[in-house]
Amino acid sequence: MREAVSAEAVWVEPRQEVQPVRKARRFTANDLFLCGAGIIIFFIVACAAVPSWIAPYAPTEMLPGSILLKPSMEHLFGTDYFGRDIFSVMVHGSRDSLLIGFASVLVGGLLGGTIGAVSGYAGGWVDTVIMRLNDIWMTIPGILLALAIAGALGPSLFNIVLAVAVSAVPGYARVMRAQVMSIKNRTFVRASMSIGASPLRVFWRHVLPNSLSPLLVMATIGIGTSILTGSGLSFLGLGVLREIPDWGTLLSQGRGYLTVAWWICTFPGLAITAFVLSVNIIGDRLRDHFDPKKLTQR
Amino acid sequence: MKVRKRKETMLAVALVMTLLLTACAGGKPAAEGQNAAAQGSGEQAAVQGGELTFALATSPDTLDPHRSGLAVAVRVIRTIHDSLVVQLPDHSIKPWLATEWSVSDDGLSYTFKLRKDVTFHDGTPFNAEAVKFNFDRILDPATKAANAAALLQPYKSSEVIDEYTVKLNLSTPSRAFLGNLSQALLGIVSPTAAKKYGDQLGQHPVGTGPFKFVKWDENAEIKVERNPDYHWAPELVTNQGAPHLNGIDFKIVPEEATRIGSVQSKQVLAAETVPPQHILTLKNDAHFQLLEANTVGLPYTLFFNQDREPWNDVKARQAVQLAVDVDSIVKTLYLGTYQRAWSPLTPGTFGYDPSLENAVKPDIAKANQLLDELGWVKGADGVRVKEGKKLTLHYVDGTPNREKRNDIAVIVQQQLKQIGVAVEIEITKDVRTVVYTNGSYDLYGNSQVNSDPNALYSFYHTSDPNGRPSLPRLSNKDVDEWLEQALVEKDDAKREELYKKVQHYIIDNAVIIPVYVFPYTVAAVKSVTGLSFDTLGYPLFNDVSIQP
Amino acid sequence: MAWIVAKRLGSSLLVIFGSLVLVFTILYVLPGDPTDTMIDPSVATPEVIANLRQQLGIDQPFHIQFLRYLMNMIQGDFGKSLINSDPVLPKILEHFPATLALTAASSFVSVVVGVVLGVLSAVHRNRAIDLIARLIGLFGISMPTFWSGILLILIFSITLGWFPAMGSDGWNTLVLPALALGTVGAGFIVRMVRNSMLEVISEQFIVTLRSKGLGEKAIMYRHALRNAMIPAVTMIGMLIGEMLAGTVVIETVFSRQGIGRIIADGIMAKDLPVVQGVILFSAVIYVVVNLLVDLSYSFIDPRVRRSA
Repeated sequence: MREAVSAEAVWVEPRQEVQPVRKARRFTANDLFLCGAGIIIFFIVACAAVPSWIAPYAPTEMLPGSILLKPSMEHLFGTDYFGRDIFSVMVHGSRDSLLIGFASVLVGGLLGGTIGAVSGYAGGWVDTVIMRLNDIWMTIPGILLALAIAGALGPSLFNIVLAVAVSAVPGYARVMRAQVMSIKNRTFVRASMSIGASPLRVFWRHVLPNSLSPLLVMATIGIGTSILTGSGLSFLGLGVLREIPDWGTLLSQGRGYLTVAWWICTFPGLAITAFVLSVNIIGDRLRDHFDPKKLTQR
Repeated sequence: MKVRKRKETMLAVALVMTLLLTACAGGKPAAEGQNAAAQGSGEQAAVQGGELTFALATSPDTLDPHRSGLAVAVRVIRTIHDSLVVQLPDHSIKPWLATEWSVSDDGLSYTFKLRKDVTFHDGTPFNAEAVKFNFDRILDPATKAANAAALLQPYKSSEVIDEYTVKLNLSTPSRAFLGNLSQALLGIVSPTAAKKYGDQLGQHPVGTGPFKFVKWDENAEIKVERNPDYHWAPELVTNQGAPHLNGIDFKIVPEEATRIGSVQSKQVLAAETVPPQHILTLKNDAHFQLLEANTVGLPYTLFFNQDREPWNDVKARQAVQLAVDVDSIVKTLYLGTYQRAWSPLTPGTFGYDPSLENAVKPDIAKANQLLDELGWVKGADGVRVKEGKKLTLHYVDGTPNREKRNDIAVIVQQQLKQIGVAVEIEITKDVRTVVYTNGSYDLYGNSQVNSDPNALYSFYHTSDPNGRPSLPRLSNKDVDEWLEQALVEKDDAKREELYKKVQHYIIDNAVIIPVYVFPYTVAAVKSVTGLSFDTLGYPLFNDVSIQP
Repeated sequence: MAWIVAKRLGSSLLVIFGSLVLVFTILYVLPGDPTDTMIDPSVATPEVIANLRQQLGIDQPFHIQFLRYLMNMIQGDFGKSLINSDPVLPKILEHFPATLALTAASSFVSVVVGVVLGVLSAVHRNRAIDLIARLIGLFGISMPTFWSGILLILIFSITLGWFPAMGSDGWNTLVLPALALGTVGAGFIVRMVRNSMLEVISEQFIVTLRSKGLGEKAIMYRHALRNAMIPAVTMIGMLIGEMLAGTVVIETVFSRQGIGRIIADGIMAKDLPVVQGVILFSAVIYVVVNLLVDLSYSFIDPRVRRSA
């Protein structure tokens, strides 16, 4: 629901086809943010892609003699209560963390986008029925839905992804529907309808491509939200227990050690925050980019 | 954060340590007398008045002793309800609400003489009728009694002999019966209240205990107040009269960091279930004290499922027994604050066999050799294979991660890699279906707080073919015979021998892997004195006072 | 106008009924059994379980269970907890004030922090203050709330001893949880206020005011802010739902009473009547808040009235 609120609120105006002329401009704070975000995301994606090139230790290696060691040159982020090198665990764990983020957005976005597009484009009673159902779906707070699903199906990575995705669907559907409806009524769409193009063709050629940008913005920010929801589920005891824990699980496992070994949960917490922050910055930037008014360039 | 290492506090620390050592004498192996803690920390003169705030780790399910199934509920129930008898740490049974009793020669009937000066909090007199009402209530399916019903077995009926004499009839003899009667779940509730509130009794408990129930704000707090008329305390506590405290305010604080934080910030005076990492910190902090009592019964134990291949073979089980380094697990996860378990019983239980200690030592080479002998060959990925099948071990555990039990699974998984066993961990919320109904586990861990070694019966006796199978699915004639004899054996020495035989068999045949003995821990501000524990490790507040 | 209100009310009732059906269906199809938590596994025999299922009425087919539930609900009976036989509705009503207080306090934190940072950020756009303000806002959105909650306890309860670490009695127990939860909403409001203010500034009437020689500060605070507040305020209405959900985690961290706690516990214990009751209750709250927000639009903004 979080994404629904923000993306929708900004997307009251549809995208304009005519872009204003670009002006040469100076390097602003936004660019600084964007660079930082880019670097962070690049590094995290690299970790997920080739963890064994980056991590100095095997993530499952438990060194019984060195539990709860402070961060040092040898163990960059310290060791946890198993005696595992936290940096290595995190590098390897980035894969599952990103998977939760991306996969649930993909599933939720596709499902929600399709529902919204059908509803908005069809209009009439189809729209009314789908939107009523969507409203009903929305009345149940996302995390409760995710909780119920994860609680019932048991803790597995797939179920977490499913739980997070399902809870995000109505938000995507709403945004997509609003966008499709406004595009549908634009002059150029009506024009192609009037010259006899089939509704399906009009949809694929004109409506869909012009409706995707808000969904894209929302999906970008949704990656962050998904990771946060996933870590919330870990906190409530519905996370996944895998050989290599994801960041949310690691954070949740380490929270009891905060006063004794602050590093166990601090670094995964920072990693989640940094990643979600970066994704939000990029999402913001995308939103501004698609926004006709170009607020930030003034 | 609050570890203070300044020199001027060193003296205080030393003092605390001495106190703790005396207080925790009961925490050592083969311990008798966790309740020694009472005398240990009760040296200062009791101060009248004050309210103790005590943070509980979870919310009780109900305060109706006959319906509860949670240890956390027992901690509160014990303050409100008394039992007929009390068990001392040396396993002897002493009077409480009953002054004396006799057992018939066939062991089938117990006649209790009751105290005549006891009244329930609601004014109802305590008498033979009340006792009969209580036990019949547990037997009545409408009560939905759970654990209490199991403890009461083999109880059949009661007869009121006169106002203060009651006879309990059993269907079979049981040496565990008196011990079970001492447990809080068989505490005596007011018949008037039970009739009045019905299934709501759990929200309005009325007993004869040292404290009276005041209110229960769900998920927030439970308040009890001093019972000024109380003068029938058991031998287990020093103060035989009404408690020193005006009342206890149990706060419900499930989040570990918050619970410990609330003691450290002195928002509450005491908090239970201290995680190992904080036990060490708090022990070294002059502002706080750490009290602990080992629980009694079955330790946390990993059970092999002998219905499943290849764990029906003793060699396969022994290989795992030799490869799992329990010492390393206990030292890593509990930082030396939990004691390692060696036997199917905990050291404080009657019949515990200390000769099993250090009997099993990790030996990877021998473990590998045993699996080789069975024909399991290591494949390219390091996992053993036989006839095209991988050697896997399906390890089931419940959620949430209570006492870091999920983490034990993670370590066992790594340790068994060394002998080519692939451990699949399944963490489930629905333990009953996975473990008890479907039996789809190779290894599953559990523990049980119990007052009598007869607890072994339901775990290791051949199970009734029509009933539910036991956890290890063990079926051995000798073990069955020993357990049956021990249940009725009148001579304590012979009874102890029988239980020792059972324990030896179980470890020699690698039926289980015992892991740790759970210590019940309380962190308290220094001004709290006199907190003690009963034989099973539940806290007693009769002697508690708050020093100014 | 009356017609619009009636229509909205009607569809809201429909939505509430729909969520009732949805919740009931979801909980019905979930695997596992409420009797799991009611009987200790070591004593649960098939007969005991079957008896209990019959007593609870959960051996009946779906439609019978649903109809029975619906009929009771119409009479104001939400059923009893399976765990401790507590009647559900009084239980919810008992816990709701604490959640309401937390939600209100968090909204307050969100608005104050969000508007202040958003205004600062817009007024000093593209300067250091803007950068910092927006970064703070982004941090609020990006931190897992249970982590920030525990950090707050560590700093303000254990180390400084300023506020209690847990509980739900008294205003001072509200401070830390409201901060932890409020910063999330603040993050959204910062962005919202900043964007709306920048948008308003470019509008004709501001340009006119500026050309009239009105000081920049007066323009910003008297005119731009007031106009930018409208979308920010409506957003708060929408954030209420978000905050209600956030209480699930925050109430656990700070051991507060509240409906977030009872639903988390209820889901864990498969205490169906409680879960149903709470979800339904929060659905009603959500629908009512949104109804109010919708209706208030029609009063504030005539354009919405026409299109509705």
